[in-house]
Amino acid sequence: MLFHYIDLSWRSLKRTPMVSTLMIIAIAIGIGVTMTSLSVYHMMSADPIPSKSSQLHHVQLLALDEERTWWTKDDMPYQVTYQDAMNLLSADLPYRRTAMLKAGFAVHLDNSDIKPFIEQARVASGDIFSMFNLEFIYGGAWSSDDEESAASVVVIAQSLNDKLFQGENSVGKTINLDDMTVRIVGVIKDWPTYVKYYDLNNGAFREPEQVFLPFSLVAPNEIESWGNSNNWKAQSNRNYQDLLNSEVFWVQYWVELPTHQDKEAYASFLMSYMAEQQKIGRFARKELKYALRDVNEMMVYREVVNEDNKILVVLSFMFLAVCLANILGLLLAKFLRRAPEVGVRRALGASKTQVFIQHLVEVGLLGVIGGLLGILIAQVGLWGMRTSNSAYMAIADMDLTMLLAAPVIAVSVCILAGLYPAWLVCRTTPATHLKSQ
Amino acid sequence: MLNMNGISKVYQTEMVQTHALRDFNLQVNEGEFIAVTGPSGSGKTTFLNIAGVLEPFTQGEYLLDGVDIGKLNDNQRADIRNQKIGYIFQGFNLIPDLNLYENVEVPLRYRGIKAPERKRRIEESLEQVGLASRAKHLPQQLSGGQQQRVAIARALAGKPRFLLADEPTGNLDSLMARQVMELLEQINRDGATIVMVTHDSELARRAPRNIQVVDGQIADFSLYQGNPAAVVGV
Amino acid sequence: MFEFKPILNALLRAKSGAILLLLQIAITTAIVSNAAFIIKDRIAYLEQETGLPEQDLFQAEMMMYGGDIDLDKQIERDEALLRNIPGVIDAVHINAVPLSGGGSGGSYTLLPQDQVSQSVSAAYFLADNHVLNTLGVELVAGRNFEESEVIVSNDGAAIAKVALITQAMHDEFFPEGNGLGQTIYRENDPVKIIGIIKLMKGPWLNDKRKDRSLIFPHVRPRTFQKFIIRTKPNERATIMRKIEDVLLAEYPHRVVNSVRGLDELKAKYVAEDTLMVRMLMVLIVILVMITALGIFGLTLFNINKRLKQIGTRRALGARKSAIIRYFLVENALICSVGVVVGSLGAIWMGNKLMALYSVPALSASYIVITSLLVIVMSLLAVVGPAKRAADISPSIATRSI
Repeated sequence: MLFHYIDLSWRSLKRTPMVSTLMIIAIAIGIGVTMTSLSVYHMMSADPIPSKSSQLHHVQLLALDEERTWWTKDDMPYQVTYQDAMNLLSADLPYRRTAMLKAGFAVHLDNSDIKPFIEQARVASGDIFSMFNLEFIYGGAWSSDDEESAASVVVIAQSLNDKLFQGENSVGKTINLDDMTVRIVGVIKDWPTYVKYYDLNNGAFREPEQVFLPFSLVAPNEIESWGNSNNWKAQSNRNYQDLLNSEVFWVQYWVELPTHQDKEAYASFLMSYMAEQQKIGRFARKELKYALRDVNEMMVYREVVNEDNKILVVLSFMFLAVCLANILGLLLAKFLRRAPEVGVRRALGASKTQVFIQHLVEVGLLGVIGGLLGILIAQVGLWGMRTSNSAYMAIADMDLTMLLAAPVIAVSVCILAGLYPAWLVCRTTPATHLKSQ
Repeated sequence: MLNMNGISKVYQTEMVQTHALRDFNLQVNEGEFIAVTGPSGSGKTTFLNIAGVLEPFTQGEYLLDGVDIGKLNDNQRADIRNQKIGYIFQGFNLIPDLNLYENVEVPLRYRGIKAPERKRRIEESLEQVGLASRAKHLPQQLSGGQQQRVAIARALAGKPRFLLADEPTGNLDSLMARQVMELLEQINRDGATIVMVTHDSELARRAPRNIQVVDGQIADFSLYQGNPAAVVGV
Repeated sequence: MFEFKPILNALLRAKSGAILLLLQIAITTAIVSNAAFIIKDRIAYLEQETGLPEQDLFQAEMMMYGGDIDLDKQIERDEALLRNIPGVIDAVHINAVPLSGGGSGGSYTLLPQDQVSQSVSAAYFLADNHVLNTLGVELVAGRNFEESEVIVSNDGAAIAKVALITQAMHDEFFPEGNGLGQTIYRENDPVKIIGIIKLMKGPWLNDKRKDRSLIFPHVRPRTFQKFIIRTKPNERATIMRKIEDVLLAEYPHRVVNSVRGLDELKAKYVAEDTLMVRMLMVLIVILVMITALGIFGLTLFNINKRLKQIGTRRALGARKSAIIRYFLVENALICSVGVVVGSLGAIWMGNKLMALYSVPALSASYIVITSLLVIVMSLLAVVGPAKRAADISPSIATRSI
């Protein structure tokens, strides 16, 4: 029966080619526009690490003095001070944790033809690899001994290993970062994320770093942050040591809290830590405050999906509504004109339901064709976005979910548009139109 | 009133040329009531369309009330239809979205008649067909006979001197048909020239003059012109 | 003449088609007026005057990794080298590059920090006396640095005693316009204002500090350095291509990176907004197209549905122009109601956007202009079908179907 309906629908579409084309164009463009903005929204807001996103927590501490305000919407600094990071790292707690910051170095090899180049680096604790599911191809993370002794070791990512060592196992080899020589202890697969959710301070859609250094190297090597540093206290940092002891926010801190109990335990630890610090004059405020946000909360908090994309999604759904009204009008006209034919069918014994379903199948068919064309249009739209803004290279794309969503949305919209006309037409009484023919 | 000399009408399609009318000649005088009959496909509808200035003709000369129709442009033809001709169609052709009053008003508006005058005429003509009380009704709320009376009212409202009726009773039962026919006769007595196309010979016989169209030409009844009694005898 | 009343009555009796058309027109009006307004807002942002000859400026970043040289001496040598390249107007070592999105900022006060006084946040630049000539910005009052005023220090506490500030920053502190020669404070360090720059955008175009900048006569010799170079018009590309080799020839243990024009940096910084403008423009164009197609299609259908009626009207004496007018008036009626509803929708939507996002208040002129354009568009969409309707032969009235 369904095939019969599809056959009837196809004939019906062919019988009014002009109107069918108009309707298909309308639904295809509507879907194309909607899927373009929705795909970007979907990619931007997608959970970057579904298996861990609810366990990884980003730590924020309200270190400002009483009555100090900050430029963030909840007055909380995005980052922590170096001293807080070090204190939290040294706390004896059973949780994986990492302090981290972005740095940059001139990478050069001894006795090599490779022209020295600048590479951004992530300076972090050894836990970063297990916390963020970074997979090793060769070697492994540096040891806690390396970490404690501030050993000159490095982990690099696959692309960089390809560039420097043609993809060989480079563990044990050394590279120079500025004037510092470091030994490779591991090679990881490139960080599989297009959103830099672990450090959103310098834009969400940047390439992840390819060089990883132990956080303990920060002080001895006077590693400068290539990220943001925010100083709230009027104090002059004359030299690097001043910076380390200062109240400047420039370090990100993440902790892995597997369960809700862990989170509560860690929260009370943070409160007691701050209270402890108050004794030495820091956190000079009545109400102590922290924030522990997991990955998805962090993405919302830092507005990874920017306003423009939200506006575009809203506008494109309104656009789709216009297309829906458009199709509804055309369907109404088309179906009502067919009332005489329906009268004949009804007289020949077709039930209301059959007539209704036949018409819904027809609009469904429209939806399928329009949805498929809409995917093509969305591809053009996404290509346009990628061309216009290189930051959209990875995000202006349709994944399987979106590819499947397109025809589903298209068919739903069409059926929504077709319900009323189909209902009107199935109410046709068999007799009405026989006579005047 | 109406003077057709050597009118022919050729329908050209890709494959065939159809002569709907061939060297068609007819004269109708002021105040006449003529019935045109003929088998289907004989060309009577084409004759009606040409006589009613609804369709151009291929050859010949057509004078309506002294105006050479062949020389008119589209707007002038529209004005002729509007001012000189009243139509009564087989399917009534009332506009379904408009009520009776508005339906009758349509040609008057095209003529540019002012609102008060329109109102007077509409009421008068609806009165004449006995439907004044139904002015606000929509066509589908009326019976066929009533609808045709509205159509007649619409034709009358413009006070045309020439009335064309196309199977005016074709969609009506016999009682209604008689009423409509009586109405037409009344209108004719009031001075309008009427040409009525019908396939109903009984109806045709009530007209003072009959012509029959066969194969796009008049099968000549001029013999009986002005002598209805003779026609009855055929 | 225009048959308003009967058309209106007929419309009211055949509601659904009209309502759908009205709805389309209303939503279209609401979307287009808001989108057009956002576009205008963004274009104003994208095209704002920067005060800088962006086409003639470029930056070069470098990382000195040798550890075997005196950085401040090398900076002097590099500056001299760059300034002597034929086609270069001037070059300067600087801590941050305008329009690039990366820079430093601080708070400045009218009185030392232990006293309560007005505080103004601003971006700061550290460079020597070549900075004005290199950036090509105009001094409206005061003087440039003297070479003797330039301090060379990596000490985070070191601060020059004098500064140039932008007009916008000056006006924040001194609305009466008497700021030249006055002193402001960074924490407790006094800074004397020796010159006022007419217009110079800072590092962050979408920040409240975009017009508020200071320039201190200060060189901070670090391993990671930035230079801005200004060339003669049309010579920038050539110089940009060879700059790396020139610098490496002078001193090889460095990486020269990010040799980019200021226009390019700015384009990258505003890429999101450019994209938004493009997306909205495409959206408007196809939305209007879709709506026009919808009106076109629906009118065609209406005409097909009313073939007999139109023929009858022609038979009853309607001129072709009257038929065309009928459809135009019918459409104009629907459309006018549509734009009125749409205008209300646009205002509502504008308020929502303003409440939820950083979109300024929608100005009424955009609604009015959009409404007019939508009416014109819809009439244009109807003209074709209406002409077709007018060509319907009156003889259709005598056909039985």
